[in-house]
Amino acid sequence: MICLAHLNFEAMKVPFLFALVSITTAMMAQPNLTPGAPQSERILVLGGTAHLGTGEAIENAAIGFEDGIIDFVGAARDVDPKRYARVVSAEGMHIYPGFIAPNSTLGLMEVAAVRASRDYQEVGTFKPNVRSLIAYNTASDITPTVRTNGVLMGQITPRGGVIGGSSSIVQFDAWNWEDAVIRADDGIHLYWPSTHHKHFEDGRAQLRKRKTYDQKLHEIRDFFERARAYADGKPAQRDLRMEAMRGLFKDGDRSAPGATTLFVHAGDAKQIAEVIRFKRSEDLERVVLVGGADSWMMADPLRENGIAVMLQRTHTVPRYAEDDIDLPYKLPKLLEDEGVEYCLQGEGRMPEMNTRNLPFYAGTAVAYGLEYEQAVRALTHSTAKILGIDNTCGSLAPGKDATLFISAGDALDMMTNDVRQAWVQGRDVVLDNKQIQLYEKYKAKYDAQRDAGNR
Amino acid sequence: MHMHEEGKPLANILPAMIPARSTAMSRLLFALCFFSSTVVLSAQSGSTFPVNGTPDVRSELHVFEGASLHLADGTVVSGGHVVVRRGRIEAVGTGVYNSEEPLVRHDLSGRHVYPAFVDVHSGWGLKRGERSRWDGQPHYEREDTKAALGWNSALHPEFNSAESFVPSEKEANEYRSAGFGAVLTHRQDGIVRGSATLVALSKDAHDAVLIPNSASWHSFSKGSSPQAYPSSLMGSIALLRQTFCDAEWYGQFEAPEERNLSLEAFNDGLNRPHFFEAGSWLDVLRADLIGDEFGMQYAFLGGGEAYRRLEELAATGGALIVPLDFPTAIDVSDPYLARLVSLSEMKHWEWAPHNPAKVVEAGIPMALTMEGVSKGKTFLANLRKAVAVGLSPTDALAALTTVPASMVGAEDRVGRLASGLEANFIVSDGPLFEKGTALMATYVQGVRYDVESEPEADVAGRYSLNLDGRDLVLAMETGDKGPSATWWPAGTAEEEIDSLSGKAKVSLDGRDLVLRLLDDEVGAYRLVGNVYEGSRIIEGRGERPDGTWIEWAALRQGDTLVPPKKEAEATVTPEENAGGTDEAIEEDPVGPTGPGPITYPFTAYGRTQSPEQGSWHFVGATVWTCGPEGKIENGEVMVHKGRIAAVGQALNPEVVFGKNTPDLVRIDAKGKHITPGILDEHTHIAASRGINEGTQASSAEVSIGTVVNSEDVNVYRHLAGGVTAGQILHGSANPIGGQSGIIKFRWGQTPQGMLIADADPFIKFALGENVKQSNWGDNQTVRFPQTRMGVEQVYYDHFHRAREYGEAWERYEAKRKATPRRLLRKGGGPILPRRDLELETLLQILESERFVTCHSYRQDEINMLMHVADSMGFTLNTFTHILEGYKVADKMAEHGAGGSSFSDWWAYKFEVKDAIPYNGALLWENGVVTAFNSDDREMARRLNQEAAKAFKYGGVPEEEALKFVTLNPAILLHLDDRMGSIEVGKDADMVMWSDHPLSVYAQCEQTYVDGRRLFDLEEDLVLREAMRTERARLIQRMLDAPGADKRKPMERIPPHYHCDTMTEENR
Repeated sequence: MICLAHLNFEAMKVPFLFALVSITTAMMAQPNLTPGAPQSERILVLGGTAHLGTGEAIENAAIGFEDGIIDFVGAARDVDPKRYARVVSAEGMHIYPGFIAPNSTLGLMEVAAVRASRDYQEVGTFKPNVRSLIAYNTASDITPTVRTNGVLMGQITPRGGVIGGSSSIVQFDAWNWEDAVIRADDGIHLYWPSTHHKHFEDGRAQLRKRKTYDQKLHEIRDFFERARAYADGKPAQRDLRMEAMRGLFKDGDRSAPGATTLFVHAGDAKQIAEVIRFKRSEDLERVVLVGGADSWMMADPLRENGIAVMLQRTHTVPRYAEDDIDLPYKLPKLLEDEGVEYCLQGEGRMPEMNTRNLPFYAGTAVAYGLEYEQAVRALTHSTAKILGIDNTCGSLAPGKDATLFISAGDALDMMTNDVRQAWVQGRDVVLDNKQIQLYEKYKAKYDAQRDAGNR
Repeated sequence: MHMHEEGKPLANILPAMIPARSTAMSRLLFALCFFSSTVVLSAQSGSTFPVNGTPDVRSELHVFEGASLHLADGTVVSGGHVVVRRGRIEAVGTGVYNSEEPLVRHDLSGRHVYPAFVDVHSGWGLKRGERSRWDGQPHYEREDTKAALGWNSALHPEFNSAESFVPSEKEANEYRSAGFGAVLTHRQDGIVRGSATLVALSKDAHDAVLIPNSASWHSFSKGSSPQAYPSSLMGSIALLRQTFCDAEWYGQFEAPEERNLSLEAFNDGLNRPHFFEAGSWLDVLRADLIGDEFGMQYAFLGGGEAYRRLEELAATGGALIVPLDFPTAIDVSDPYLARLVSLSEMKHWEWAPHNPAKVVEAGIPMALTMEGVSKGKTFLANLRKAVAVGLSPTDALAALTTVPASMVGAEDRVGRLASGLEANFIVSDGPLFEKGTALMATYVQGVRYDVESEPEADVAGRYSLNLDGRDLVLAMETGDKGPSATWWPAGTAEEEIDSLSGKAKVSLDGRDLVLRLLDDEVGAYRLVGNVYEGSRIIEGRGERPDGTWIEWAALRQGDTLVPPKKEAEATVTPEENAGGTDEAIEEDPVGPTGPGPITYPFTAYGRTQSPEQGSWHFVGATVWTCGPEGKIENGEVMVHKGRIAAVGQALNPEVVFGKNTPDLVRIDAKGKHITPGILDEHTHIAASRGINEGTQASSAEVSIGTVVNSEDVNVYRHLAGGVTAGQILHGSANPIGGQSGIIKFRWGQTPQGMLIADADPFIKFALGENVKQSNWGDNQTVRFPQTRMGVEQVYYDHFHRAREYGEAWERYEAKRKATPRRLLRKGGGPILPRRDLELETLLQILESERFVTCHSYRQDEINMLMHVADSMGFTLNTFTHILEGYKVADKMAEHGAGGSSFSDWWAYKFEVKDAIPYNGALLWENGVVTAFNSDDREMARRLNQEAAKAFKYGGVPEEEALKFVTLNPAILLHLDDRMGSIEVGKDADMVMWSDHPLSVYAQCEQTYVDGRRLFDLEEDLVLREAMRTERARLIQRMLDAPGADKRKPMERIPPHYHCDTMTEENR
């Protein structure tokens, strides 16, 4: 990686100087994408703007952490740097809690076209016992490319069927899934059947009322009623599927131990209305709507029924030709204004690699009306709260995990997102990845060729 | 044949008798046919057949007299007569017709007689091709026949419709009940469909066939062909064009080496009138372009929505065969489901009945067709709707008679009441195009086919009924499910009616009324009565509950009891007679203000008028020129007549324009950023019915340019993201794809208006997994190539063939030059080589007249293709996607190829596992002209953000990064002389942003194309509001619209194309 000496400074101009520094640091820290070692010394991030994740920001801030736990959040003037073994300057930069990618298949898929590398969808219709955690590949080539943009945690989510399985929440700097886990089996994912389906006629697809919808709904109800009976009674035989459902019927909020949340994936208004009815009829305490393209039309009942929304990608085309052309862009703003609890997620085309674009989905929401700190919150604290991990993650606050990063510029804007340092639970994260390595390899080749040509 | 006795007024004949006698007659006919198949009443052809029994000579003349005759010139002759001999009209005149020959007189006084209708688009009597069940395997060879026919089973020029024609009574009945007497029938299967035959709607083929093989039909639909090629609309277009070429070449040979009966038939049929089954106005224009190329003026089936683009349709010079398939209202009661229904679909519901009148107004020759309408009654009802909203009865009649007849050169056989023509005519009890008139019978070749015995009485109203000495009030209403009734004692106070009234069941058969009065106390009275005097009196007999008989009568007191709107019928049906005239206004789906505005395009976000080219003066902006002037702070831009007139600081109009300074509209752009319009080198939006013709390894003959869809709402959405031009590329399913369509996003224009007229032509190539069909499942393992090794051979093979093709033409030209003019004039000289659209295209590449943009990922194949190009003597223009371009950037620079890449895509295919977001930066650093493209309708809306990623990943300077989506794609598309930067003289294609154009926070506020403001954030809000109010208005009208048969809401979901989208959309 001798390329550094040959950087074309004229072409690169200023921003690249920063990149140079960060690459150097990363390389010196740990080559080979090795997960960080446990925090051994007290670290203080000093200066810069700290976006706390809860909607507030502190200018010229100081964030201190020890043994992987944040022990100080405040103004730089209120901290004694001498108490920290290592002081990292964030002067003129931005500090964020690690962004969280909920409803993600990262680590379950490596190359979409290669069947052998696809592990996100098990066969079957009701399979709550299928667990994403144990298939989460910490060594995916994609994960390090996600960290470099500030996304440090995710909810790894199985797909397919009516109940896709159980998700788990992991952090993105780990040797194996046991290290990675933040919360195992946090939720059951129910893919709500469509009330309408595509119908092909005259060579054109049309949407029609689905004939089998009522039957499907009946099957879902039946499954939940059996699961509740199983959880309440003393079954003579063990049923792995019913065992996996138990957590749904426990009391407590989303962070309660042993309680799992029902994540219902649904987009259109008809479906959402059905989901709300279902929550009430099944008396489920914790239900989160995932997707929610039409959630803005259902804001009142969602709020009144305590259903949070993991909102679809803002970078989406409107569903209907007559829709406002910026409807997907302004969805977060619409929900914010309506007081619906929500966070952002990135399901959609090529979701694994696009995880790194999650910050920019939030940036777009800012361009279309959301306040900046609200957008940060929708990637951090709100997400953690919806996932039930806000007691340890999602904000910069004393007592929380030291999972955070420093970006030289605004991390929600692709023009300025420039992650220099990142920590997961206090461990230094290597900000290198396969793509940077390939870049340097070929850059070095061309620089050498040019040098030879110039000589 | 029924006849009225002379002197007996028609009104006195018991209505019920006509159908009864006529049924007896047809039974007799049947019996005759059964015993002697040769006896056909109108037959002359039967004379060659041996006679079993005694022949029916049929020497008598039939005189239809006393009627109002509707003649071709629009005049109506009262007291006219039509004389028929053996199925043909012998004479037409007025007064009494006398002759010494045997005469059978038919009294038609009070009746109207029209020539029977002619439908030129029909498949009557011909079996449709049936598609065999798809077995999951691709089929590349013709399998349906091994005969000496052409190679593609979507082409059937050899099909002889006259020989295959066998009449079918069931369908004929529907035609006749709509008033049709003759149709031009052809087998509705395939792209070239063989001959069409003009037939009368008679029972026997010998009578029916009027002019065998009198026309030809073409279409874009491949029909039942099991062959893979063509799978797309552009493939259908190319195949038809190639067939014209092949036929011309084949026609030169007296004794061809390789016999091709299909081409022979194609040539034989060239002199017939040609029809094209098109559909939408877009398809009509597409078909017309083919016709123009090969000197063929088609008449087009389609244009049911012609009102959207009348001028362009008129300019084709072709006649339209317009369907009357007016949509019924949609059930929009559920507001969620109503969202599925597009605005254009709603508007079409309102506009459709107006279409025929608009077509005539535009001066387009028009025939009407029953296509799309299965019931004769519906056809008539819709026809009357069209007349009610402005189509003149004369034009309507012409569109159903003389116009279609002349289209097939059959003016002397059908379509008029004149001697010598087939005795095809309609008898009605009033003016045919008026609501309430009954079409009583259609005569075809002199044979009567009853349509309507008598109009069913409209009994709705309030009657006084005396029953067993009780004075009752009987209230009857008519609804969808027939009439119903209630009754109550006379003199009951209004407010007590509800509580005192009893139910009654009513059924109506013609003029016979059957009434069952349910009396709670004594039981049911069963009454039968006849309706007389326009429903004023109903009288008859009946049975009491106790089984004894009574006489009864009901007298109409008034029609205050108007049926509720909801229950009235949506379509005007002939049963309703004059009593229903009040309803006509309600049933008519056109409000007092007429249909809503026409917008261009006729979709969401269409405008009623195209924005004018403005003269603008932008001041105070940060202008990113992407040209030599770089970024100008506090900059100004002047735009005039669609061009950039000046750019710089503190511009003075008088200095710029001199004496002819236009009135410039000053736009304060303080704090805004102005950039050139974004160009998308690689998109698949705005194309109709497939972007891949991946059914052969090379499909160089197809062109996206032929299937541009100007109505795609994504065009507007792209404008809202600052995109002003793009290359619509063929997909990547095969190594040699198809030609591109390079368009400016001129929202509101037609496809031809969007295509950049003099743009250099391009073609799409592709490498890697897609062309190897790697990810297409386990069945697609047959088509060559299946490996990267094979891909190279495809190129060499095709380029060598193209070169040889060019040489063959050179030899031909040389020989031709050497041939004396005298000989040439006599048709001598060398044989013309076959024009091969595929090789012709490839030859253009070799001669650097067409340029390649190649879908590519891996460095090995990129390298390979550059070797192919180098050795064949041309330069590859662009590698698109080119995700491993960074590994061979130096080689690309040396070859001279540009790169149009994704900013950060990877991990979706095995071949992109080494893709890096630094690719753009490395290509650019190595001197490759580098662009970022979308290949995705979503990302294209924010290509400026993708450009920002060139800055983020690899540090390409901001201004250079912006060029990745402006100047550089313009260079790659050879459009940089007029687009891609803000320089004087270039097209005024510009974007005004709210913020730094590379920032995620930048909103596109205004987009200009050719100096027209085609997107404006403020105007956008106005358009949204206009859509909302128009939708709301239409929804209210649909809710109010009568009819129980409302369609369920459904959505037409346009397909979303990417490179690897394989569809089959030309069935």
